[in-house]
Amino acid sequence: MPSTRARRRWAWVLALVLAALALAVPFTVARRQEPTPSGRSVDVRLRDFEVRQDAAVVPAGTVSFRILNQGPTSHELIVVRTDRAPDKLPLQRDGLTVNEEAPGIELLDEVEGLDIDDRQTLVLDLAAGNYVLYCNLEGHYLGGMHAAFTVR
Amino acid sequence: MPRSPSADVVTASANQRAAGGRSGIGRLVPRLPILGDLRLGRRLGWVIPVLIVLVAAIVGYNARAIAQQRGSALVVYTAARQRALVERYTKDVLVVVDGFKADPKESGEAMRQPVNVLLDGGSVRAPQGDGSRVEIPPARDWRVRRKLEQDRRLIDALIRTGDRLLEGGRDDPRYDDDVTRLRVLSAQLSSVSNDAVQEITQQTEASLSRLVRIEIALGLLSALAALGLGLLLRRAGAEQAAQFRSLVNNSSDLITVLAPDGTIAYQSPSVQRVLGRRAADLAGTALGDLVHPEDQHDVSMSLTTLAEAAPGATANFGCRLQHKDGSWRHVESICTNLADDPRVNGLVLNIRDVTEQAALRKSIGDLLHNLARRSQGLVDRQLELIDELERKEADPDRLDELFRMDHLATRMRRNVENLIVLSGVDQRRRWSASVPLRDVVEAAVAEVEDYSRVQVAGVHDLALAGQAASDVAHLLAELVENATSFSSPTTRVDVSGGPAGNGYVLEIEDHGIGMSDDELDEANRRLAEPLAADVAVSRMMGFHVVGRLAARHGIRVQLRQRWFGGVTALVLLPAALLGSTGEHPAMAPPVPAGVKVSPEPLLLADTTKSGWQPRARLPLRRHAGPAPNRGGDTDAQPD
Repeated sequence: MPSTRARRRWAWVLALVLAALALAVPFTVARRQEPTPSGRSVDVRLRDFEVRQDAAVVPAGTVSFRILNQGPTSHELIVVRTDRAPDKLPLQRDGLTVNEEAPGIELLDEVEGLDIDDRQTLVLDLAAGNYVLYCNLEGHYLGGMHAAFTVR
Repeated sequence: MPRSPSADVVTASANQRAAGGRSGIGRLVPRLPILGDLRLGRRLGWVIPVLIVLVAAIVGYNARAIAQQRGSALVVYTAARQRALVERYTKDVLVVVDGFKADPKESGEAMRQPVNVLLDGGSVRAPQGDGSRVEIPPARDWRVRRKLEQDRRLIDALIRTGDRLLEGGRDDPRYDDDVTRLRVLSAQLSSVSNDAVQEITQQTEASLSRLVRIEIALGLLSALAALGLGLLLRRAGAEQAAQFRSLVNNSSDLITVLAPDGTIAYQSPSVQRVLGRRAADLAGTALGDLVHPEDQHDVSMSLTTLAEAAPGATANFGCRLQHKDGSWRHVESICTNLADDPRVNGLVLNIRDVTEQAALRKSIGDLLHNLARRSQGLVDRQLELIDELERKEADPDRLDELFRMDHLATRMRRNVENLIVLSGVDQRRRWSASVPLRDVVEAAVAEVEDYSRVQVAGVHDLALAGQAASDVAHLLAELVENATSFSSPTTRVDVSGGPAGNGYVLEIEDHGIGMSDDELDEANRRLAEPLAADVAVSRMMGFHVVGRLAARHGIRVQLRQRWFGGVTALVLLPAALLGSTGEHPAMAPPVPAGVKVSPEPLLLADTTKSGWQPRARLPLRRHAGPAPNRGGDTDAQPD
């Protein structure tokens, strides 16, 4: 039979553990796991108001866009396949944003809500063709946030 | 009117026997925790959950209240307002360019002002839809500052473009480009403003979230602390209860709780050691069943008085309790009235076994008695010899010396008799016939060395019961001796008497220096409650002897301070001991009307009728009258 002193010690240990859990649990933050890049990687940097990538032409296949928003404001990145010039994409009625459902525009994928210094990877299986990368927040496209991209 | 515990002892005992032992034990069980257990554990049983619920409710409420504030606070209204200002500015510029009247500068300033304030370290109170205002803190976070700075750059660019349009008008060749730029900047500004406000909102949310987490953590810690505190209190209570149980169980004293009906409601287990009985067996039984028949009256009186006394009053009494083997154990009890305490609801008796002390006291008493008896025999023989010499002696001088020897021997005999009294052995010489009270007073005076200073006057012709005569004479002699010893040899000691409502009072007055109030209280206490023979008794032996002698016959003795110095000793003889001369005391009224009072000081006691042999003779007074009859009649022999 354990002595009173031993039971008291265990009671204190248990109380400390519970206290530690009580403090630790609310501050625990689940970390988002980023997908592992695969295929050809293309670094894309977004800033007010321009899009720059380190390669304008890549071979067909899987392309991993490693996106970094350098700010200073939030952006998004949309990838469309089109033969139009990057600055000649059709606009919505408001005249401020690109109409992604217009003929000649094939929306492939997009990454939204990129805050300052956010990094995300967008993996696409791209066939040969012409593509445009742009930010479609109000005025951003018209402000120059677009870039041509070619897959051969 | 409170019920007397002792009054119901017998009936409760009978009822208990009729109901059977188990029912008594069954009744006792709920009462046992009164003394054995603290109710702390049971209280904590509901206090702790209530505390936890309260803490959880507080934390939950705070979290909910804070959550309601966040999110909706900034984004909706502030972003919409900024967008509206941008659109208004753009529209106003175009309206003015088209020739209409508007004030775009006002909108421009309205756009710029909050941004500048936040970047300059100020705070902005942003109105909300429900009329309340939410304070936007200064921009300290680097993300917020970068976005607000971009916002300000765009505002500046927008206003510059607007100013150019306002200056150039439609005729300016850059008009179309500037209008487009104005619209693009307007859109960018809306987007960036929205982004900045969202960032501020996120920062606010993060701050509030931290507060919520801290509150939750504090709440959990509070709950844990409360739980720990509760456990500690419970443990402390349990340890205290265990300690108390151990003390009660292992104490040599008995702790007994008497219920209002006089039955034992609680009995500590130590009764097994003292009386050889199990505590559970005594539950519900009457205390009177254990008390010696000779002590039952005193115990009953003590308990009755205490039960009717104020709550918290105490009383002491001694008695004998019967052991399981049939023997009797002497005990002393300190009893406290806790009838008003709902946790006790009865009288608490702390009983100590003093059997060994009683046996020791008895053996000391026996020793004293044996030694005193031997001395008494020798002194008696000495007195007889002196008496014989006195009868034969004719020379007055030698006779005077013999009388002095006679007197000293008489004092020695009284000292020896004091020892016999203190030994506790009742070996009095008793006379069946009554004795004149004046004879008794006279004999007492004769035992005192300075009897010549004593003036006896005003003692009525009353008869004193024969069985008390010797003790009363002894008692009076001690008081008179005390009066002569503690007063100047030149002063007189007066002995007088007078009727009282319930008896007859003899007064012994001295003219000495008196006693202090403390001394007087102590002496009266000794007179009222004489102690057993011990060292303290030896210091004030006279008062102890007087107290014991008085207690034998229900006589009350009290000392009082005299107004003009000295002390008066009052001796109240109860009516039961008194009667007219020649009558049986018990049959006579206490103080008959018109009793004869001696007009002159008494000089000699006439004992011829009673045949009572005084404890001392009056040697010097032989010269003044006939010698007292020391031969005694046949009916005057001790019983």
